[in-house]
Amino acid sequence: MVTATEQQTVEEQWEPRILAYCCNWCSYAGADLAGTSRIQYPTNARILRVNCTGRINVEFILAALDMGADGVLVSGCHPGDCHYTSGNLKLQARWALMERSIEQSGVNPKRVRLQWASASEAQIFADGVRTLINQVKELGPIEREWK
Amino acid sequence: MTEQVEHRIGVFVCHCGHNIAGTVDVEAVSDQANSFPNVVYSTHTMFTCADSGQQLIRDKIKELNLDRVVVASCSPRMHEPTFRRVVEEAGLNRYLYDQVNLREHVSWCHMREPELATQKAIDLVRMSVARAAKLTALPIKTVKIEPRTLIVGAGIAGIRAALDIAERGFEVVLVEKESTIGGNVAKWNHVFPSDKTGAEILEPMIRKANSHKNIRVMTDSKISIFDGYVGNFEVTVKNSKTNKEEILDIGTVIVTTGFKSFPPVDRYGYKLSPDIMTLAEFQEMDVKDQLKRPSDGKPIKKVAFIGCVGSREPEIKGHEHCSRYCCSAIAKAAADIRDHADEVLILYQDIRTYGKGHEEFYRLARAKHVIYTKFPKNAKPDVTMDNGKLSIKWHDVLSDDELKFDPDIIVLASAMVPPDDVAETAKLFGLTRSGDGFFNPEHIKLAPLTTHTAGVMIAGTAQAAKNATEAVVDASGAAAKAVSLMAKGEVEIESTVAQVLPDLCSSCHTCVTACAYNAISMDESRDPPVALVTEAKCHGCGTCAAACPSSAITMLHSTDGQILAMVEAYLCPMAPEGGGV
Repeated sequence: MVTATEQQTVEEQWEPRILAYCCNWCSYAGADLAGTSRIQYPTNARILRVNCTGRINVEFILAALDMGADGVLVSGCHPGDCHYTSGNLKLQARWALMERSIEQSGVNPKRVRLQWASASEAQIFADGVRTLINQVKELGPIEREWK
Repeated sequence: MTEQVEHRIGVFVCHCGHNIAGTVDVEAVSDQANSFPNVVYSTHTMFTCADSGQQLIRDKIKELNLDRVVVASCSPRMHEPTFRRVVEEAGLNRYLYDQVNLREHVSWCHMREPELATQKAIDLVRMSVARAAKLTALPIKTVKIEPRTLIVGAGIAGIRAALDIAERGFEVVLVEKESTIGGNVAKWNHVFPSDKTGAEILEPMIRKANSHKNIRVMTDSKISIFDGYVGNFEVTVKNSKTNKEEILDIGTVIVTTGFKSFPPVDRYGYKLSPDIMTLAEFQEMDVKDQLKRPSDGKPIKKVAFIGCVGSREPEIKGHEHCSRYCCSAIAKAAADIRDHADEVLILYQDIRTYGKGHEEFYRLARAKHVIYTKFPKNAKPDVTMDNGKLSIKWHDVLSDDELKFDPDIIVLASAMVPPDDVAETAKLFGLTRSGDGFFNPEHIKLAPLTTHTAGVMIAGTAQAAKNATEAVVDASGAAAKAVSLMAKGEVEIESTVAQVLPDLCSSCHTCVTACAYNAISMDESRDPPVALVTEAKCHGCGTCAAACPSSAITMLHSTDGQILAMVEAYLCPMAPEGGGV
């Protein structure tokens, strides 16, 4: 039997689990620079390196949410700065549809964040992680809500 | 998971001295790693990249017959090549190695949360171990390098690089969009630290370049198509006069597209009067005789120089940087013109005469009674014109006084900014640009002349604002980089390319349009035709694999299975052995 106070404590202690897909050339390097610059940000995110955000399939995001991620971050090069010329633009073109799929799977699209952070934008990367964490904290632990 | 292949994975957790171990409990990470599936050995060492650390990895691979290795240390962007080499030396394929970033991504950015950082480290190692179990060995491929360098832009840097490479016995194609070679430097009437004109300095170099048997100079020409990969670029050069195109086989490329002198419109009344000019325009005036004022031809007696025009303006994008050449250049120009003028002032924000011999110019200017006056960062001098008469008002910081001066001419030390077609050039060669607008090097400290496009180097002011001496140093460095590649004759390329599973392909052409490199075509020998990847053209971005609606494309070393195994290992880890929930 869980008492109300205990339940409250559990909720207070809850920390969102964030999976972050970062492209190797911009955002992963930006996250490296955040470390090198000793920029401090919350520990919730686990970075998974892909060559390019263009590699990211909606399945990767849906699978993460399915397995219990409270939020998913996708971080790539700025439009026009893609190491592979246009992979990020291909992802951007797919993004509206991806958000729709996420919504249809019963997950609030606010749990997913797309951001651009270059290799020199360590602060922007760290701020983006923090923004998603705050967004997810407002929503609480992952749950499905079909409308 | 249906298939359960047993693997023998070794995990090496690095302290990196105090860098990782100071925050992350490396012993706990290593202990936990022992319980992860397929891990047969786990340890933690002080410096895994040191000789002893490398030796330990090699020894353990042999002793325990490890078939996968995970090192949890710094960023793979730093030491992945090192550890790939180490496992290879012990007979393991380099693609059976995986690295966890515990330093840049954990200890350095979570310094005040050691427990949470340790938890994150454990998760990341578990993810990497899961990925390692899914890795497959890939062939190591090498390609031949065409012994010919393309140099884009024939300014002082381009010509220097061309001569260095040609002297070493390799062919050079020197492409210049203008009708003559020499670039910005050729236009100047004096180039510090010498007393010579730019043309005088360049003349022997240009003569040699034009007559060298290994150098082909193509003026009035631009690159229209850039295709291929390191050692085997296919470059189309278009002549803007004849519109003729020529396709060249190129091994290495040096981009020396230089800078543009920033036209400081909207600053200090530039263009209001011909007597307000940039330093570049002033440099082009004839200094031999008495200088004459452009507006009325009267002799120039009073001159004011203004520094940091379009440079070091933190609030304006593309103008945050220091242009580096101006402090020394105006010191020299002011000292020179002081011989003919009664009063010469330099209005500055800060003075940075940092280079070899530059401090001497500053002292020379001082000795000749050039007046230096410092204005505040947030209150730039105010230039007005009344009946053709120029006037400057400013606050002198050191005397805390409001000052006024009526010069005959005003010379603006305007910033170095990238040329107008820089975005086009960046796109052509797959280069990225930094905040100042110039091209990004591969690494700002360790690899300032190479770029993330293998085989493409940058030099001179294409890389950042700098003076001619520094541009020449760059040029020789980039030339050495190009030559060392070509001298080797062949280079290893990544095997991480896309592969089509023909049986799954539904011939929809989605991947053909997704590929930015024209690496995917339709194999017409099959009925129906299915997608086919030309591996040499594939850069490994994986955009096609994500776009394929039939999951018919496998991205080697970044397969769906490898990625999803990491996701699962983070979010739904298997219960540790002997425990269980």
